[in-house]
Amino acid sequence: MTVTAPSIAAEIPEIMSAYRPLGAGSYDECIDQSGALRPAWRSMITSIDAMSPAERADRARRMDRRVRDTGIAYDIFADPSKGAQRWQLDLVPFILSSSEWRLLEQALVQRARLFDRLLADLYSTQDTMRRGLVPPELIFSDPAFLRPCETVLPSAGPLQFYAADLARGADGQWRVIDNHTETNAGIGFALANRVVHTHVAGDIFKAANGVRLSAYFQAMQSALTAHSGRDNARIALLTPGPHHEDYFSHAYLARYLGYLLVEGNDLRTKGTQVYLKTLEGLKDVDLIVRCVDGRAIDPLELDPGGFDGPAGLLRVWRKSPHLIVNAVGSAVVQNRGLGGYLPALCKDMLGEDLLLADAPRTWLGDAAGRKRILQNLDGVVIRKAQEGTGRPGQAALGHNTRALDASARAILEQDIALHGARLVAEEKIGFSTAPIFTRDGLVPRPFAVRLFVARTATGYQAMPGGLAMSVDPDRAVALTAPDGHTRDVWVLSDTEQAPHVSLWRPTVENARVQRSQRVIQSRVADDLFWLGRYCERADWTMRVVRSALRRVEEDSGPATGRRAARRCLEMLLPVDKDAKRPTPPAADDAEIERLSALLVSGKTGLRTLDRTFSGLFRVANLARDRLSHEAWQTLTKFRPGDTWASALGKAAPVATLDFLEEGLAGIAAFNGLMHENMTRNFGWSFLDMGRRLERAYNLCEAIHTLFVPATDAEDEASSLMLLLELADSFITYRSRYRLDPMLPLVLDLLLLDESNPRSLAYQLIAISSHMAGLPDNKQGSSLSEDRRLGLALLTSTRLADVAAIAQDSERELLAKLMDEHLDSLPELSNAVARHYFNLMDDVPQRVHTRVDPRP
Amino acid sequence: MIFDISHRTLFRYSAPVAQSQHVVHMSPRQVDGQTIRNHSLLIEPAPANRSSFDDAFGNPVVMIDIEMPHKELVLHARSSIETRRVPPKDLASSSAWDGLDDRKGGIDFDVVQFRCVSRMTTPSLAIADYARQSFPPEGPILQGAFDLTKRIYRDFTFDATATDISTPITEVFETRRGVCQDFAHLALASLRALRIPARYISGYILTSPPPGKSKLQGTDASHAWISVWAPETGWVDFDPTNGVVVGNAHVTIAHGRDYDDVSPISGVLIGGGEHTVTVGVDVVPTP
Repeated sequence: MTVTAPSIAAEIPEIMSAYRPLGAGSYDECIDQSGALRPAWRSMITSIDAMSPAERADRARRMDRRVRDTGIAYDIFADPSKGAQRWQLDLVPFILSSSEWRLLEQALVQRARLFDRLLADLYSTQDTMRRGLVPPELIFSDPAFLRPCETVLPSAGPLQFYAADLARGADGQWRVIDNHTETNAGIGFALANRVVHTHVAGDIFKAANGVRLSAYFQAMQSALTAHSGRDNARIALLTPGPHHEDYFSHAYLARYLGYLLVEGNDLRTKGTQVYLKTLEGLKDVDLIVRCVDGRAIDPLELDPGGFDGPAGLLRVWRKSPHLIVNAVGSAVVQNRGLGGYLPALCKDMLGEDLLLADAPRTWLGDAAGRKRILQNLDGVVIRKAQEGTGRPGQAALGHNTRALDASARAILEQDIALHGARLVAEEKIGFSTAPIFTRDGLVPRPFAVRLFVARTATGYQAMPGGLAMSVDPDRAVALTAPDGHTRDVWVLSDTEQAPHVSLWRPTVENARVQRSQRVIQSRVADDLFWLGRYCERADWTMRVVRSALRRVEEDSGPATGRRAARRCLEMLLPVDKDAKRPTPPAADDAEIERLSALLVSGKTGLRTLDRTFSGLFRVANLARDRLSHEAWQTLTKFRPGDTWASALGKAAPVATLDFLEEGLAGIAAFNGLMHENMTRNFGWSFLDMGRRLERAYNLCEAIHTLFVPATDAEDEASSLMLLLELADSFITYRSRYRLDPMLPLVLDLLLLDESNPRSLAYQLIAISSHMAGLPDNKQGSSLSEDRRLGLALLTSTRLADVAAIAQDSERELLAKLMDEHLDSLPELSNAVARHYFNLMDDVPQRVHTRVDPRP
Repeated sequence: MIFDISHRTLFRYSAPVAQSQHVVHMSPRQVDGQTIRNHSLLIEPAPANRSSFDDAFGNPVVMIDIEMPHKELVLHARSSIETRRVPPKDLASSSAWDGLDDRKGGIDFDVVQFRCVSRMTTPSLAIADYARQSFPPEGPILQGAFDLTKRIYRDFTFDATATDISTPITEVFETRRGVCQDFAHLALASLRALRIPARYISGYILTSPPPGKSKLQGTDASHAWISVWAPETGWVDFDPTNGVVVGNAHVTIAHGRDYDDVSPISGVLIGGGEHTVTVGVDVVPTP
């Protein structure tokens, strides 16, 4: 006995020396009962063991940062400083040996085949219900069974995507704890985890001979292309939008597969056709990959409150059943109550034994089952049979029956009797454990894993990977992750791997030279336009605050400079209604600091940095699938609650200057990246138009504020300096004139000089040339309103006589010119919106008649 | 009896509707005891697309799209329908409600779906208790259903202002007020709480003018009631709003699990602003 102990210990790498399974009755994935490392885990554990503690910590930190940078999160609008639902990816993956994977793969593919057949039956002849293989009341009580979808049968079969949550019990057996047949539930998270993990630990993955995911996604992609019936198909991934918890997953998958990410409002139906609303008008859609709940997909025939799809989509689908995957209504077979009926169904429909069983559950609509459970309610968990969410880690908790007092228990019993058809009772199962990486080394944690299946040209295929999450085993038999702790899932290969092909770069056979515009949804054009405006607004406001604080800091500067700066601060803030406050002297330092603080973090006014950053971050998110990873990176510091943004809000005036420099550098980096990297398509036009419009407006406003009415020479000199500084044209001016700033020269440089990228004329020319390149959907030969306004502004600027303007001591000419622009530029912005962004298509509304007779 | 029925619905919008799509359940279905002699459905402005099919419950559906801007929409259904309903004489001889599961031969497959609760007919424990008072152990289904119908008629007040389309039945049950569709939903929730098959009927009812007055145009109404299944008789209709077994004064248009399945007109509009609806129904018995 004592002889063998040291030899086993010798095999155990040091990092595992303190690793102990949780209890005698539990199963650990990494070490067996004797305490020896399981073979599949050896390579990975050895690699990690070989690293120094510092390197391990460093890799974990890099992983963490990469997760944050990639933006993997449930809720992208959540404040990242509140870490409750932060997505965490462990350095230590979960590992499946090739032999184990083969069994799981076979079992999952069998289930996908079974669910596909069952769906086809439930939505056509309902033979399984008629013959009692499935209790009809289970199906008919399920709100996910969509009656209007009966008789719509895609020839390829209703189920394109399937996912299953699995857990291994103490007996070492895998069980399915939940099925997902509604959508491709959370696959984008799994993909992003792999991309991040490979970035930090690709060497370990390679050494362990892990199977790559790209072949799976290629097969999925070609199956979808084939399914659409067109080589050059326009495939859209339909998402509920950025407010949805899984939006990241949808957006990531759409980008990876190169599909359009669309929302319900981007689509509209006409008769039996569905179209995408684009800048160039309505475009055909060949295939919709559905990432929204089936019953929310058509407010006309399905859930009246569901606007996640366009009204009338079901009618289009009836005519073209291949158009939507998964088929609408596919969620019904994920009903938890079906688990007990699957073995018989499998035997009957496929003629095979079910390879992998569900965790033991009882459907409470069944009289005998209900009776059995009610007699022995202790220790079971009562849960909804149909949950509807596919969000990994967020399965709802059940009613734990153990903690109930007598009256609560009586109510639960009545509830079960009344609503049994929509409930299941589940017995607790054990969850096996696998190591996670902590500061104290590796420790075992119970977990569950989600695996994915898709239909391909050669039948269903399982993705050789997945998403493992730590679970709280006491709360439900489901993938409920209390802390958002995830692990990549590696499937090891016993053969040599084919060379790596990533879908980020299409293979030569697939790639076609295509210089035409990739279609752009009207909504995305709108988002990019506002992204441009917010970026410029952030830049300008930061410049104004920086100039003002600099003048306070430079004690020796003239009071006139501080006066000018103060006027610019006030111009960006709403009028102070608190008249009781005594008016401080015009050059008062404290007042300038107070106004600066208001402009940085104040809650009133549309142009405070606080408001601007949150607007900027919101639209950047909406347009995220059009931004490069690097461009996105530069904007993340503006995320509300980010360390930079919150530090800026709290900083003392002197420190504020440093933060502003950093912020300005961020905007400059973003602009530079977009300028260098963004294809000059319509999307670019809208982004740049937004920026130019905002810049033109801000410039006119500052000129008006500083020079109308006229001031004395000293004030004017300070105002000219400030204006050149704000418009970033001081160097240009100096190199050209080598004189102190003079009004006619400065006005010429900033209003008329068409070669100065900061001048008004330059902005207006850029806007006009963008508009000239955009598709013009308006009929007739007259100019559209936006083009007319753009031309009028440019003409009036070009005709301006700066010498006369500068000589006019009343400043009437300057006021007139600036007023004209300050009135027309917002109109131009509205005209662009009306022309291109489908504002006329406001939110659809629903009407119905009520049966309302007199008695 | 033979009825000439006119059902005209007028929508008026405060702003032009750019596009509208509607699902219409205004065409009568074939049911036992009722013959459709004639039917037409006129729609103005003329739809760009119009299609007809039968829904999952066998009701005729018309779907329409209007693509031209409009500020008014008229749907006018005219039907000539003969009713020859013979309600069962002896409600007490129907099967026991609590014996359905043990019945030899089970329940017809097409009936089972109507035992299940739907979005608008989900009972609360209180509603289940209310229902049980009409169904003592081994009580006959139809007798219990009639008793429940009469109790709802007695216990509840018709009040067109108390509820709207989104009022849940639990609230109707608490306030004891509502309209015919609320009472139908309440009766269905009660019956389904006991797993008794029951369905929602949408149709028309002939109303009599007050004594001494002549009947005014457009004063009849679209109406809603329920139908209950018993093995011996099949479906038998009850009207909880009027507390009666349905005879020949009711004309069926469609049936389903609840209002959602058979709403006369439901639509999705783009534009339109505020809207008003005017409904005029005439049910005229012909000699």
